[in-house]
Amino acid sequence: MRINVRFAGAGGQGVILASVLLAEGYGLGENYNISQTQSYGPEARGGACKAEVVISDDDIDYMKVDTADVFIALNQEGFDRYRDTVKKNAVVLVNSTLVETDDPGYYKIAATEIAEEMGKPFAVNMVMLGALTKVLPKLHYGTIEEEIRKKFSASIAGINLEAFSKGYNTMEQQLKNEKNKKVEKSWHKTAKKLN
Amino acid sequence: MDKRTSESAKSLKKNPPKPAKKEEVLQGNEACAKGALYAGCRFFAGYPITPSTEIIEMMSSEMQKCGGAFIQMEDEIGSACAIIGARWGGKKAMTATSGPGYTLMQEAIGFAAVTETPIVIVNVQRGGPSTGQPTMSSQQDIYQARYGSHGDYEIIVLSPSSVQEMYDFTVRAFELSEQFRTPVILLADEVIGHMREKVVLEDGSRNIKSVKQKYVVSPQADFFQGENTLVEGQLHDSMGRRIGHVPSKSGEFVNNINKKIRDHVDVIADIRTYFMDDADVAIVAYGSVVRPAINAVKLARKVEDDRLRPKLRIFRDIFRKGVQETINTDYSHLKVGLVKINTVWPFPEELLREATRDVHTVIVPEMNVGKYSREVERVLKDKTVIPMSKCGGDIHTPQEILDEILREVGVDE
Repeated sequence: MRINVRFAGAGGQGVILASVLLAEGYGLGENYNISQTQSYGPEARGGACKAEVVISDDDIDYMKVDTADVFIALNQEGFDRYRDTVKKNAVVLVNSTLVETDDPGYYKIAATEIAEEMGKPFAVNMVMLGALTKVLPKLHYGTIEEEIRKKFSASIAGINLEAFSKGYNTMEQQLKNEKNKKVEKSWHKTAKKLN
Repeated sequence: MDKRTSESAKSLKKNPPKPAKKEEVLQGNEACAKGALYAGCRFFAGYPITPSTEIIEMMSSEMQKCGGAFIQMEDEIGSACAIIGARWGGKKAMTATSGPGYTLMQEAIGFAAVTETPIVIVNVQRGGPSTGQPTMSSQQDIYQARYGSHGDYEIIVLSPSSVQEMYDFTVRAFELSEQFRTPVILLADEVIGHMREKVVLEDGSRNIKSVKQKYVVSPQADFFQGENTLVEGQLHDSMGRRIGHVPSKSGEFVNNINKKIRDHVDVIADIRTYFMDDADVAIVAYGSVVRPAINAVKLARKVEDDRLRPKLRIFRDIFRKGVQETINTDYSHLKVGLVKINTVWPFPEELLREATRDVHTVIVPEMNVGKYSREVERVLKDKTVIPMSKCGGDIHTPQEILDEILREVGVDE
């Protein structure tokens, strides 16, 4: 069993940090084998950034992701670049403040908006990670919470945890509306056929 | 799947970690720094450069806690010279850099070789030449690691392909450098340096014994130990006296510092073989490329396929459709194996010859223009050696290597 996760966004959005916390959540919390890699340009901020996590109950040979089971897009550029390399029925989360897409099959989290409302625009990655934690199996709120507390000083951890729980709750809300979404999905398929 | 293949598959499984040891999620670079501290490294001088900066960062914060010293130097020339001095002063010492910095260190590496100073230098390779690709990976320094400095000298170079090996090989590098009194290079690359995986760490710290005299040409005592110590960059005899003007003695010295490594390749060399028992085609790989290569071999042998159905129900429900894309083509008749080279220099000639005795074709995937394949060609003259070069910063994918295998054995896709 192998799950390929890909994060894409801009340098400075916390793409890599979110992937590291996810890797630790599965690697230390659930005792899976994990492998986390990244790719970014020489800029400190801006520029395309990609992070990948492979989760497996077996040895991980190839550590990179070709096609993703889970895809998280934090900005439009990252979304456009990697939207075609996801598997069918992959779990896709987009930061809907910055990513424009009308695909009803994707989970849309207004992460930048939520983070800016908090006055902490840098916490956008934590909002997305919160939403991801809710939707992925075997990934527990408590495990990630613990990792965040270990990694940061108390004040920063507080901000991050607030953003994290906001993302988690937003996703919880969306999953409740899942029933409506299924209707939308079938409608979407029909619409495609008409075209 | 025949019995032998399944045994090979079993041998691929790592030994289950003993409960007493700590398991952590670490970056390759962090694991390297932790390995050095465990091995007893108590002096680090460096100049930050992507993609090796995390080693320097961790050393700057952790070294003091271990009672050692950390200096950020003015450049890489200073860094390499500082660790030579530190080793003379009796501390095990290391520096870390990437391509451009490693080029600057060459003079000091030759100096360490001729003065038989045990030091460890980490080169986390990035794309070159020159400033090149700071954040991308390569294996372009494979020759520079061996032939970088002027003059005739042998050197030991280790190439890790996982975060665990980044830790283990750093410890091994200190062992070998002390045993042979020679600089040892840990030749990693960006993929391994920046990758995070679970690592099993050893407890406490280890005191690697300084000198085993049997391999050393001119044994030196550390400074400040009550003995007169003469250090000389010119060719010298076992007492440190200059012999550069005496051709016979000089020749002997140069031969000896080469022979101490060349004649003990059996002690140093380390390769691993996978699925080689019945193989017709072998892949020879080192460093991060080993990972897609193992995957390609498994795909060919159909031992494990990442794209097969998942074993856990909880995942299956969510990812059901995504994982149904199994490959339909069966290549299980292909007898492909892998030789993983851990000690890239000195070249493990005998071990490689032995491992590939029954194969007719050898494929050498590497992230450069095809350098190491020449060395393989030199040793395996009776085989077809296919270089599989990839430049630009990306690691080979398993599919690319599998395609190359299929091309070579003449299977239509």
